[in-house]
Amino acid sequence: MKRARGAGDDEQPPRQNGSTSRRKGDPEPVSNGDGGESAFDPGDLQDEDNDPGLRREIRSKYRDLINTIQQNREDMVSLSNNKLTEVLEEANKLFKDVRQAREAALDAQLLVVATDLGKEKASMLFSEGTAFDPAVYAEHLLSFMGLNRLEDADDEQQNGGVDGYLPQDAWHRLSRRAECCFRTAPSFHFMRGSFHAEPPPPKQRIERQRKAPGKEAKRIMPTQLKKMEDSHQDATVKEVERILAYLKGYHQDDPTTPISYYEFVIDPNSFSRTVENIFHTSFLVRDGLARMYLDEAKLPSIAPVEEDEVEAGGSCARKQGLVSINQKIWKELINAFEITETMIQPPSTQDE
Amino acid sequence: MTQRKRLSNTQIKRQSGTFVSQGDDDDTTFTQPSNTQVQRGLEKLTPSQVDQKTAEVVQYFLVKDQKKIPIRRADIVKHVVKEYRNIYPEIINRAAQTFDKVFGLKLVEIDTKNHLYILVNKLEAAERAPPIETPANPKTGLLFVILSVIFMKGGVVKENLIWNTLKKLRVDPGDRHEEFGDVKKVVTDEFVRQRYLEYMRIPHTEPVEHEFRWGQRAEIEVSKAKILEFVGELHEQDPQSWSQQYREAHAPQTPSQPGTSSQR
Repeated sequence: MKRARGAGDDEQPPRQNGSTSRRKGDPEPVSNGDGGESAFDPGDLQDEDNDPGLRREIRSKYRDLINTIQQNREDMVSLSNNKLTEVLEEANKLFKDVRQAREAALDAQLLVVATDLGKEKASMLFSEGTAFDPAVYAEHLLSFMGLNRLEDADDEQQNGGVDGYLPQDAWHRLSRRAECCFRTAPSFHFMRGSFHAEPPPPKQRIERQRKAPGKEAKRIMPTQLKKMEDSHQDATVKEVERILAYLKGYHQDDPTTPISYYEFVIDPNSFSRTVENIFHTSFLVRDGLARMYLDEAKLPSIAPVEEDEVEAGGSCARKQGLVSINQKIWKELINAFEITETMIQPPSTQDE
Repeated sequence: MTQRKRLSNTQIKRQSGTFVSQGDDDDTTFTQPSNTQVQRGLEKLTPSQVDQKTAEVVQYFLVKDQKKIPIRRADIVKHVVKEYRNIYPEIINRAAQTFDKVFGLKLVEIDTKNHLYILVNKLEAAERAPPIETPANPKTGLLFVILSVIFMKGGVVKENLIWNTLKKLRVDPGDRHEEFGDVKKVVTDEFVRQRYLEYMRIPHTEPVEHEFRWGQRAEIEVSKAKILEFVGELHEQDPQSWSQQYREAHAPQTPSQPGTSSQR
């Protein structure tokens, strides 16, 4: 069968070597010959050729042929034999029995593969002079690179197959010779390496400086804290003792007259001082150094506990009381009791 | 002079004066300013300013060329020329002259559509290995093998031919090579980006197959005659015995080959 155009050459190579039909067999005109590449005329089915076994056999033989070509590609392409032609003759014989689309499609595929090889084979001949065989070329290159072929079969581990030991500088040897073929511009590099500005060192210095003050600060902190805590505690204790002193003083001045609790704690000049006085006074009561009671007018009074009455742990009945005060009440108390001055002087060191 | 006019005539768009100092945006729309625009631009600048800018472009090229990846015009305009873009042709022209006279290099625009430049040596390589043994880059040898096979086989080869040939040389694209590392990447990515090779997909192939051709840089940088000479040496044959290749290697330089320094 004839394929008029270079069928199978989907991409036209830049060089057509005047290759015509490669089939040396007798071309047989077959009805479905022209539609060989793709779509087929399904009306060509004939009953006696519907035997599926035979069809399968034909297809299998085609596949074998295709495989043969593909597996032994280099062998086929070599100019030293006619194997490609033999395969094509084989296919030609097979084609006589082709009846169905599937087989013909395989035939077409075979043709594509074979044509490809044929083109390659022809291209090796295209130069009027000598052919160029990359396999031979590779051998020459290996020799140039210094392949030592005299080694024993022990070195078969070197990439299997080919014997011989390729030296370390094989590619360097080749490159040096090949460089002459290139007109490469030499690469430009700064002689002393690229230029880095100063930033890296200052960064380190800064970090160190920051770290140093931090450490010192931390050292100072604990000692200061201790002092402060002491002063806080001292302040409260001192304050309580001071108030106790006032209380005793007032009591001594007039032991019989009860001291009004409110008159005692309230500072008409400062609400906050009043609250502090209440706070400190409560310590006295808690510790049993002072006692609060209701006088005849049912008003709370406070009096120091006599020293011989002081009992740690408190055998006398203890009661708890809550004292709350806000500014409104504070003002009312001031008016009610007509408190004009404070009984507990504020400590001189405290800031109001 | 005539070349410059020809270049500006082929421009489709021409924004008269609107592109002057537009900042860093719209590099892709950079169009070659016309002759008169360049002249006008030059009048506003001092010679030393233009020299300074030219020197910067020269240095930019030299550093960018280290990797042998072509330099884009858009990058030059964006990073170096900047507000001097209205006199761009003049700057490039002067840079090319500097390369020519000072460095012995040729500034070539290998892609006039995408505006890519490379630097090529103006001087012919020494006859044999240079007297000073500089360490050779092994990739040169690898590239040479591929280019020579493509050339001897007529200019296009299927990728399998290259892989098979390399395998015979103990270079397997599937394995990691101790000199080249990822061989496939070097060949199909690095060499292609450097424009030494073209690696194109063949349509309608399943599984996908590719073809190798010489790249634009190879066409300018590599001497076919010298390749043929070396191949002849290896085969112990006269280069002329491959008459087709010989003719191609010794063909006179066609005008499309960018060879002059005034090419922008």
